[in-house]
Amino acid sequence: MRILIVEDEPKVASFIRRALEEENYAVDVSPDGNQGFDLAREVNYDLIILDLMLPGQPGLGVLKALRTAKVKSPVLILTARSEVDQRVKGLDAGADDYLTKPFAIEELLARTRALLRRAGGDPTGVLQVDDLVLNPVTHEVTRGGRRLELTAKEYALLEYFLRNAGRVLTRSMISEHVWDIDFDTFTNVIDVYIRYLRNKIDREHEPSLIHTVRGSGYMLKANT
Amino acid sequence: MSNASIRVRLTIWYGSALVLIMILFTSALYLVMSRALQDQIDRSLEEAAKAAARSLEEHRFGPFLLLDDLAQAFPELALLDKFFQIFGPGGQVTLQSANILTQEIPLSQTALKAALVGQATFESVRFQEEIPIRLLSYPIRHGENLVNILRVGTSLRSVEEMLHRLIFVLLVASPLAVAASMLGVWFLAGRALRPVDAITLTAQRIAAGDLTQRIQTRSKDEIGRLASTFNDMIARLEASFRQIRQFSADASHELRTPLTIIKGETELALRKPRSPEMYREALESNLEEIDRMNRIVEELLFLSRADLGEIKVASDPVQLDSLIQEVQQQAIVLGQDRQVETTLGRVEPAQVLGDEWRLREMLLNLVDNAVKYSRHTGTVQLSLVRDGNMACLSVRDHGIGISPEEQGHIFDRFYRTDAARAHFQKGTGLGLSICKWIAEAHHGRIQVESILGQGSCFTILLPLLTSPAT
Repeated sequence: MRILIVEDEPKVASFIRRALEEENYAVDVSPDGNQGFDLAREVNYDLIILDLMLPGQPGLGVLKALRTAKVKSPVLILTARSEVDQRVKGLDAGADDYLTKPFAIEELLARTRALLRRAGGDPTGVLQVDDLVLNPVTHEVTRGGRRLELTAKEYALLEYFLRNAGRVLTRSMISEHVWDIDFDTFTNVIDVYIRYLRNKIDREHEPSLIHTVRGSGYMLKANT
Repeated sequence: MSNASIRVRLTIWYGSALVLIMILFTSALYLVMSRALQDQIDRSLEEAAKAAARSLEEHRFGPFLLLDDLAQAFPELALLDKFFQIFGPGGQVTLQSANILTQEIPLSQTALKAALVGQATFESVRFQEEIPIRLLSYPIRHGENLVNILRVGTSLRSVEEMLHRLIFVLLVASPLAVAASMLGVWFLAGRALRPVDAITLTAQRIAAGDLTQRIQTRSKDEIGRLASTFNDMIARLEASFRQIRQFSADASHELRTPLTIIKGETELALRKPRSPEMYREALESNLEEIDRMNRIVEELLFLSRADLGEIKVASDPVQLDSLIQEVQQQAIVLGQDRQVETTLGRVEPAQVLGDEWRLREMLLNLVDNAVKYSRHTGTVQLSLVRDGNMACLSVRDHGIGISPEEQGHIFDRFYRTDAARAHFQKGTGLGLSICKWIAEAHHGRIQVESILGQGSCFTILLPLLTSPAT
């Protein structure tokens, strides 16, 4: 899952980025309203964390412009102002949630999970296909009750597959949602990670869940 | 009474005054009226008596006047409801007119005594305890002798009735007039005081916290002036409340940012076991933010004490040319990291009255800003010139500059330009407010010229102590 942070205070942006990366999200940071808007239009982010006081363009303006430009990514507003009307204005302008600074890291992460879950249309929180289960809160992944040890990138990749189970995912979609902006699309890193992941989930005795769709990309689905 | 409304009090005061005036007026009217009526009666009695006496003398009837002859001579007498009596010198009735033949009204002792010395007497009596009568006893003398006493009388009933009717009219009309007037006053006072009620209502709404309320007023009278004065006062209150609210919102925002960082970094560090280096980094970051909060709090404290007039500014002669040279030496150190060079331009000797420590603080603050916003390997120039009776201290940089819209705000508390937020995170947004305060505390001012992207020049103007001739 790929997240954009639009925040001008570098130290605030920095600890949010590190916290999100520890949760295996791919994170980009923009310190400026206009740049943030451009990035959000270009990349199909799974979540945008938006500060309201920004140089360039204020957060509310960015949000309105994004919604006008039909960008549907969920938006979580961060604000140092706790006045009700600020929050109301933000939510009315198209935000999905807000947090008042200073906030607890765990709350930010929980709200992030909630927004991602809502976007996927699954309210339970636990992601499951066949007997493969991923818990985004504990980061625990099991197949048929057997615990799997995944690296951060493998986990992120699997989470993206599970959130889009039954859909064909192209390499560019995968790179957009699992890797951050520094990722070079022309390498075969994606195929390498898919292979790692397959080795861990689909063992010889079990029916394989990740399928290669020739000419397009990959798909995760249950065998019927 | 003091609790009653002005309207009630006005009405009551007015009513009481009116009642008093009415009592005086009706009493005077009654007295004048009854007096005038009596005078009129007395005059007609006198005329009748004189005419009768004249007739007696002319006809030489002596004491044996015939009543019919008298009636013939004065036919109007009968119509005038008068009666005549003629008494002998001893007071006994010798003759009287037909309209009182059956009754006797004896001559009083007072009238008899007065007649004996030749004086006429008026008397008021009640006939049969009921009918009021006015009597004139008129002596008729022949030479020195009293021949007869002629008495003319008339009933006062019509006069009394007229006076009674007058009293009745006054008693009925006066309270009605008073009541009508009080009603009028009640209405007029209500009308005059309606704007006051409007002011009260508005004031109540304002007291409830809505400072946007204004009193609607068009009139230019006393109450209109009160309303517009009130409106001006509320406008000033609203402005200062807005300022205070803005200020505390800004202050809380500025303090929340470091708090957010400290909380975030600390929570992040505590999520799982970390390496000693990571703990160290988190603590260092936190320390920086604590220092920043400390600086904000100190500067806020300075400004609020300055607002309250609690900051003492010394008033000693300060040699600005040596001060600017000292600051330049310190600025060289400030610029070392970013290779920003601070040079001295034209420096003229100038002495001002003030607080050397505060002036140095102000100058250092400006130089610090100039170095920070300069480009790598840029230059900052300090200069001091005399212009008329002012000393002009300038700090010029060739850095990022300030846009014209932002120039109007840079001396506002907590205001930071977008560029300052983006490039320089450690600022508090209070430095220039403090500089401005120090300049003004020295009866001077601070101004800025700047072109975005080319640099800024801050100038402090301070009144010179010595004349430029030295």
